[in-house]
Amino acid sequence: MTEITKFSVPVPSLARRLGSVWWRHVRVYSSSLFSNAIPPFLEPLIFLAGIGLGLGRYIVSMDGLPYIQFLAVGLVLTSAMYTASFENTFGTFIRLEFDKVYDGMQAASLTAENLMWGELLFTATKGACFAGAVLIILSCFGLITTPWMLVGVPLGFVTAAMFGAIAMLVTSAVSNINHFNFYFTLFISPLFFFSGVVFPLSQLPDGLRWVAALLPLTHPVELMRTAAGGHTVFGPVFNLVYLAVFIPVVGTLAVKRMRKRLVS
Amino acid sequence: MSDAPAILVRDVRKTYSGGFEAVRGVSFEVQRGEFFGLLGPNGAGKSSLMRMLYNKSVRTSGLIEVLGFDPLKNELEIKFLSGIVPQDDNLDVDLDVVANLQVYARFYGLGTRATRARIEELLDFLELGEKKKAKIRELSGGMRRRLIIARALLNDPKLLILDEPTTGLDPQVRHLIWDKLRLLKKQGLTLMLTTHYMEEAFQLCDRLAILDHGAAVLEGRPIDLVKGHIEAYVLEIIQREASAALTYAGPVRRETIQDRVLFFSNSAAELEAIAAGLNPGDFYLRQSNLEDVFLKTTGRSIHD
Repeated sequence: MTEITKFSVPVPSLARRLGSVWWRHVRVYSSSLFSNAIPPFLEPLIFLAGIGLGLGRYIVSMDGLPYIQFLAVGLVLTSAMYTASFENTFGTFIRLEFDKVYDGMQAASLTAENLMWGELLFTATKGACFAGAVLIILSCFGLITTPWMLVGVPLGFVTAAMFGAIAMLVTSAVSNINHFNFYFTLFISPLFFFSGVVFPLSQLPDGLRWVAALLPLTHPVELMRTAAGGHTVFGPVFNLVYLAVFIPVVGTLAVKRMRKRLVS
Repeated sequence: MSDAPAILVRDVRKTYSGGFEAVRGVSFEVQRGEFFGLLGPNGAGKSSLMRMLYNKSVRTSGLIEVLGFDPLKNELEIKFLSGIVPQDDNLDVDLDVVANLQVYARFYGLGTRATRARIEELLDFLELGEKKKAKIRELSGGMRRRLIIARALLNDPKLLILDEPTTGLDPQVRHLIWDKLRLLKKQGLTLMLTTHYMEEAFQLCDRLAILDHGAAVLEGRPIDLVKGHIEAYVLEIIQREASAALTYAGPVRRETIQDRVLFFSNSAAELEAIAAGLNPGDFYLRQSNLEDVFLKTTGRSIHD
């Protein structure tokens, strides 16, 4: 009986369900386009101006490149990391606990898993856009040295998917919104410094290099360096394998844990 | 599927992970086209039951079928065919009224263009036509509730599930919502609601069940429940001191609640005789109602 009736109920396909969740986030995000679309351009602008005018005069070159150019490669992806981390910590938590958005969405023909995967899809898209914004600013500074650097856009997607998944996993275990401060101070901020963005990982003592190999940001940044023609420590094969394993594993775990908070 | 009841709940239990047993073996059926109500004090298990119907909450044991589907296996089909009005306001506060509905229509696979007419129609039906471009924060509580009801009707559901739809609303809005729900029933929709308002249940429901401590204690047509489970008349004496000197005999039941004394009887004359010895203003003689039945069956102690 169920087999027959199943066909008679035209539930949207998985792709359409994920797409509808993605679309909800796009609509909400673009409803305050001005305050949401300006910062991703301003952030790298301020950073590059500060480094270029200040620090850059003291550090002449890094890894054979003018320092500002070395730094620019990594900056394409750090903005994706930050936006994904905020989106799926504070953003997800507020939707879950304060605005009760998921309660409303779960009343439509969506499962808890659909909500979370659709949200990660949006986070990844946002990461791609943020990386794109940084690339536009870099081009203004003449820092796009090869068209290969446009790989930054898909890499921004991947970076944000990864950090969205980690953030969601953290959120699934957090009961107080202030606890996210620990996550940012103890995890995200150190990544900025120890993932090959501000100095080459080859400078790390041998004993610490394997630590960098474990850190998630290391891998998209190395891929970005490869694209820009720079030096890397671990190489693109290792980077790709790391990402291909890390994202589905952490993403699945995060969605599973979030389901426990969405379905009682 | 067509002859199955709209909702079938059989011996359903729900124990939360902390060990709390919210629902302890509830059974009922809701026929197609029927308006069914679940009453009960706070913590009686009403919302838990409602949530189990669309798998927002997973039952521990028992059988549930909604429109012929088991929520554990066909959650999506049930939600596609049903409109659900949850207890909390959970609209997208960053979007305006129309955008809320457009975004929600996509969850059912409905495109923006195809839903334009439907959205107009629903906003008019719930008397929100002038608020199309309003932000959610600018809406009153009553408007938000009505918008959530409109949202639940987007996919032209066969079944509408409402969890305390009028809690906290003023009488005008409550009556407006009641009228709309009656109209929907007339159009053939099956409706199920939970409420704390006896008046609401009495006015709207064809049948209702009263839950207490996770079990159904009474079930039937509202009028039958009042006829069958409580005396026809109540004499309420507001000042206990006023009743101290009273002597009474015959088929009169007496109940003392804090400072009030209530006499119940099927004979208004008996109660009038008792009241004859009282000062006007100290008592109130009336027909009994669903609230009397409710308090009699679930007790007067505070449940939260």
